[in-house]
Amino acid sequence: MEDRLKRQRRGWLVSYLWSAPSLALIALIVVFPILYTFFISLTNMNVYHWFDYTVIGLDNYVRALFVFDSGFLSALINTVLWTVVNMAIQLVLAFVLASLLNIRKLRLRKLYKTLLMFPWAMPGYVSILLWKTGMFNSEFGLLNQWMEALGLEARRWLSTDVSAFICCTVVNIWLALPFMLMIMDGAMQSIDRSYYESAVLDGANWLQRSWSITIPCIRPIIAPAVIITVFTTFKQFDVIYLLTQQMGAKTGSGLHTILTYAYENAFITNNYGYSSAISIIIFLLLLAFSARWQPGGEGEK
Amino acid sequence: MRGRRLREGAGLALLNVFFIALCFVTLIPILYALSVSLNGQNSLLSSDFSFIPKDFTLDNYLAVFTGEDILTWFGNSILLAAATVAVSLAAAVPAAYCFSRRSFPGRRLVLRWLVLLNSFPAILSMFAVYRLLRPMGLTNHRLGLIIVYTGTMAVFSLWNMKGYFDTVPVEIEEAARMDGATDLQVVTRIVLPLAKPSVVVTALMVLIYVWNEYIYATTFMTGEANYTLAAGLYSLQATEMSGSWPVFAAASITVSLPVLVIFFLSQKHMSSGLTAGGVKG
Amino acid sequence: MKRTITLLLVLALLVPLAACGGESTDTGRLVVWHDKEDAVIEALSAYLTQAVPEVEVVFEKKTSLTDSLKLVGNDPSSAPDMFIFAHDKVGVFAEMGILADVRPLLDEGVLDGWLPMTLEAATYKGTLYQLPLYFETLLFMYNKRYMQDEQVPATTEELYAYMEQNTGRGRYGFVEQHSTAYYSAAWIHGFGGSIVSEDGVPFPEPEAVKDALRYHLKFVALMPGETEYSTVNTLFLEGKADATIGGPWMVPSAREVGIELSIAPMPVVDETGEALAPYSGVQGVQVLRFAAEDKAEAVKAVLSALCAPQIGIDLALASGCAPANAACYDDAQVADDELVQAMRSTAEIAVPMPNIPEMDVMWTVVSNLLTDVNLSGADVDAAFDEALSEAEGLIANMK
Repeated sequence: MEDRLKRQRRGWLVSYLWSAPSLALIALIVVFPILYTFFISLTNMNVYHWFDYTVIGLDNYVRALFVFDSGFLSALINTVLWTVVNMAIQLVLAFVLASLLNIRKLRLRKLYKTLLMFPWAMPGYVSILLWKTGMFNSEFGLLNQWMEALGLEARRWLSTDVSAFICCTVVNIWLALPFMLMIMDGAMQSIDRSYYESAVLDGANWLQRSWSITIPCIRPIIAPAVIITVFTTFKQFDVIYLLTQQMGAKTGSGLHTILTYAYENAFITNNYGYSSAISIIIFLLLLAFSARWQPGGEGEK
Repeated sequence: MRGRRLREGAGLALLNVFFIALCFVTLIPILYALSVSLNGQNSLLSSDFSFIPKDFTLDNYLAVFTGEDILTWFGNSILLAAATVAVSLAAAVPAAYCFSRRSFPGRRLVLRWLVLLNSFPAILSMFAVYRLLRPMGLTNHRLGLIIVYTGTMAVFSLWNMKGYFDTVPVEIEEAARMDGATDLQVVTRIVLPLAKPSVVVTALMVLIYVWNEYIYATTFMTGEANYTLAAGLYSLQATEMSGSWPVFAAASITVSLPVLVIFFLSQKHMSSGLTAGGVKG
Repeated sequence: MKRTITLLLVLALLVPLAACGGESTDTGRLVVWHDKEDAVIEALSAYLTQAVPEVEVVFEKKTSLTDSLKLVGNDPSSAPDMFIFAHDKVGVFAEMGILADVRPLLDEGVLDGWLPMTLEAATYKGTLYQLPLYFETLLFMYNKRYMQDEQVPATTEELYAYMEQNTGRGRYGFVEQHSTAYYSAAWIHGFGGSIVSEDGVPFPEPEAVKDALRYHLKFVALMPGETEYSTVNTLFLEGKADATIGGPWMVPSAREVGIELSIAPMPVVDETGEALAPYSGVQGVQVLRFAAEDKAEAVKAVLSALCAPQIGIDLALASGCAPANAACYDDAQVADDELVQAMRSTAEIAVPMPNIPEMDVMWTVVSNLLTDVNLSGADVDAAFDEALSEAEGLIANMK
């Protein structure tokens, strides 16, 4: 009995040792900043108290609550809408494309896959800049050049909330699809072909096969990547900021997500204590959103 | 029989046409950059654009390779990317294996919280990370960047590989253990080959992240000689007042090509070892 | 597979070793951060190697200079000894407590010959935190091929009449970055308004700002719906816009593409009789506190060399910037440079950018106000009230 307990303990120790490097890195780069931000949020660290800051308690949180006004509320709704729309389109597109790429006789699939990866191979700000000036620019952008060629009126694509939302979504999908496609494609390749063969013999069509074989098989494999993408989409900043709100290049749209809203209403003040309090509150909001979801349950035996 | 083959051929042709069209549509912004980079005039914008440059020249690519320290930046990027991928995998593979296969107190708790913690908006993290690295003397030091990059990607690496390990049947491992294989042997000889696609995907993801990351690279590293490609490119763009668009476009294309080559080459390793091994779960 | 892993591990261990570099705290070596164009730094570097051979001055280009400085603060192990930047961040860094007073580091009376505007710009709360090297302002530029000298508008109404006649069918009479704070400040100043007062009150003359916004609207209607640099720049460089208000940085590219570029005084607002008065930016050397203490000799030697007229002349000739040292303008070549002279005369009406920390948030507030009014068609009074309360809130939250 005692022997078994000992063995179990040793097993635990081995597990901890094997996981230690990874967990240590996460503790340093992911957990520590959160704790540190929380600490700073309790101080009055700002431009006027850069080195001689002191702990002032929850004052920053009291002030931060004023940021959560109607503007913040609509930014929050936008963010949820943004996440849902982007994830839905991404998943459906990636699934359909990956299925098509896995049709056996498609010889050039490697070439297609590589070309479709191109958006991912460029630094994000470069791609966003290309979209903003090359595509959406109202004077010179390709979109307006095509509109004019078709005899339609040129538009200011990024100037209203709705069209800016659509444009940002297009760019975000363009940026994010390669990754999702790669994950889905990899997952589909791990499915045993014989499942399909018997399904075809049973007369199942593509939709039925997808529903009853492909999706259940790939779900556990893609789940981590999908979950992480949901969070990335939720905290997406670059696409919306660089397309519509960059200093000196604002387009007139009032589209905000919670992060761009917090940036414009707090982070630019250089008041680290105050900004940290807002970061922590946003973080808690995110936690609340995901509270219902149980990642620990995935793959549990 | 012949009719069926004909129909299949037509379907395949249609599929190819579809993918060619899709690639073209996807690549429009990049073709745009390509055309700008091959054009003689100094403008990103032009009111009469065409995909075929009117004033064809390779001068801009020449300028990228002669005018900027692009080879130094390239070297820096390669070094950082290789080291980060190596450290990431070395740290994440054993951890992912433990979280997938072994049970120990705190396992569920850690798994549950990792993803949640990773959702912290990183805009203010930089300050904390700086405070962390400074006492260790790791600011303006490549090792500091490697730690930051590895840590940033650690949650993804761990989760992604753990998810895949979960789908590898335990029976094979148990058989190997019966034959007297140690833990290490089980992981390196059985689990890793079977989970190769997810290892490759994770490595690619880390590689591309490092390749494209510029915020930490420009803020933590000083001096053009220490820039990575993405950071160097960013500095080209940030000085838009004096910058040259065609050179910038040429540099953007140049930066992307190595990633594409690596992606193309890694594809054959992305198909699973599972079906190839003929094991059914 | 095992071998691959071993290899990766070895590599992972080797890289940090390879990356190790020795930190030097050499008192004869000064690190200078900057974000300037190559021509400026080449001129500075060439001059300093020859003028102060005993000090090794290392120029390091830093893209996100202000953000990096906020991180490294006054830490000798990672901060630069000096940095070259525009004067508008002097207040932020002075309040942070990382900047040294430069006056004690300079020879007595050496600044007497400086253009007063530049010194005023570099002074925050009575202390001089920057040795001004040169300054830049926006200029009224026109393309002679389209706008004849006698057509150059002396007043804003003349400008508007010209725009009405020459805008349409893909051409513009005049373009500017109309909804960008830096550019629109000229209009606000022309109406006697300002963005922030010296003691940090936003929009101290509200009616002037509103008048400027209302008046400016009709000009915006005749300009493109984009406010960013590349659109405006390209329109002018492609010969699709006859005139623009732009910085000296546009000049080299305009000459390169063969534009017959000429520079005129800023038009005068008919209603107020004041000229459009753009912001001016004074570029100069800031010294970090620890460097002023630990490396006083080297710092003094470099600053004193930078006070000689020669470097101002070099810079003016190398990149067309206007020297802060008045003695430089006696040089025949500088006197002949149309661009430098135009900037010097614009400097007489130009307003130095506010250097107080509060200005940091005002850039965003004013940009939002401008886009609301110009691009989203918001009512001027309502948008202004909203901007004012936003500004007050942000400024309150800085402390």
